Amino acid sequence: MKLTRAVEPWVLEPLERFVLEAGARLTLVMTPSGQVLAQHGFTRAVDVMAAAALGAGIVASTAEIARMMDESTFHALNHQGRRHGIFLGACDTGRGRLLVLVVYAAESSSVGLVQLFFEELAVALAAAAPAPAEQPPVLAADFERDLNESLATLFRP
Amino acid sequence: MSLRFQRLLDVITRVRGVQGAMLVAGEDGLVVAESLMEGVRGNAVAALAASLTKRFGRAAEAGGLGPVSFLHLQATDGALLVVPAPEGMVLVVVADADVNVGLARLEMRRAVEEVA
Amino acid sequence: MSLVNFTTREITCKIVYYGPGRSGKTTNLHYIYGRVPDDRRGRMVSLATHTDRTLFFDFLPLELGTISGFTTRFQLYTVPGQVYYNATRKLVLQGADGVVFVADSQARQLDENIESLQNLQVNLLEQGIDARTIPTVLQYNKQDLPSDLILTPAELDEAINFRSVPSFPAEAVGGTGVFETLRAISERVLRRLSEERES
Repeated sequence: MKLTRAVEPWVLEPLERFVLEAGARLTLVMTPSGQVLAQHGFTRAVDVMAAAALGAGIVASTAEIARMMDESTFHALNHQGRRHGIFLGACDTGRGRLLVLVVYAAESSSVGLVQLFFEELAVALAAAAPAPAEQPPVLAADFERDLNESLATLFRP
Repeated sequence: MSLRFQRLLDVITRVRGVQGAMLVAGEDGLVVAESLMEGVRGNAVAALAASLTKRFGRAAEAGGLGPVSFLHLQATDGALLVVPAPEGMVLVVVADADVNVGLARLEMRRAVEEVA
Repeated sequence: MSLVNFTTREITCKIVYYGPGRSGKTTNLHYIYGRVPDDRRGRMVSLATHTDRTLFFDFLPLELGTISGFTTRFQLYTVPGQVYYNATRKLVLQGADGVVFVADSQARQLDENIESLQNLQVNLLEQGIDARTIPTVLQYNKQDLPSDLILTPAELDEAINFRSVPSFPAEAVGGTGVFETLRAISERVLRRLSEERES
């Protein structure tokens, strides 16, 4: 049985509901820097690390394109493969901007379903997130530590 | 929106009791063309209807029933009707609870044949 | 991989600035960007985190003028230094014609330098690039820090310059060593290119 795990507990319930409704295979909830707050379906920390770093990089790249076009940032991106699709969505919460990476199988889901339930997830995350005042600012020195600690938490035996 | 799709949807929405109609990409669940009344959550209905059609298709296949030709979901306050359309699409109709299902179905099947 | 267009007589090469986190790779590019005239450079793109750490890459296109009748363009890239971002580091390294390894001269960062060099080796190998032959130079950055905190260039050569490639002491914020490094890697890349053409 695939496990859904969260570093910050408030993410867990919205994520579990999303995974169930959208029929997602893999899901990551992360900051724009690639720091993972919750994941579903991954079995290895190295896979989460790669997916998070690459996903964050994709979002950063398309945000830059949007900026060059004088557009506000895209909030959803979908890559369609033959049997799987990858969806990247962004939402704003009290905890800051969050990115959601979803891998879904064409067999059991669709971009329409994922988009539909992502919108619900975004609302749920915004509602459940702690207020901004409670979050300490991230110091550059702590940055790498935070990245790795989140990862460790998600794969604690 | 493509003219031929527009015409197809116009015909369907003229049937009494029909609140709206959409052409939806069957695989993606995304709306291709729509003619909906206010208050109908097109994107949601499209994604879910397409997903249901896929699933029912598999059930029909498993039962050796052949491809799905018509789906009818009856609810207290309305009905959802689905008919396969060309190019992997599905025609989805949202209607009142007391819509004439037979008539709607006839019009839907005629319309998709013309679009082919 | 360098692009040589015989019709338009243009050469384009890709140089990647590699090294551990916060060693000064982005600082090198910022300094170059600030000093090169407008008509010799393009926009600098920096994909960074909210704490200004490189997230994906920095990118700076430069025009170095005409060499042997060819307009020579260099595309400078930096990679994110944190171990966490290895997957994106690999992507940025694709098609590199030359590497500048920016080492942090602080003694306590020696392990990080070595780890990053090993990582470079592994990633190059995965790309099918021979780490022994790809044009490389070393930059020993932060030489401005107190001497009891840093290793001297000679000590660093001893510790990490395994292939005895050109090495340059630097203080990237103020610009010391930045252009010397860039010049050196450009020369090596172009020399390699012409060697390949002749063979």
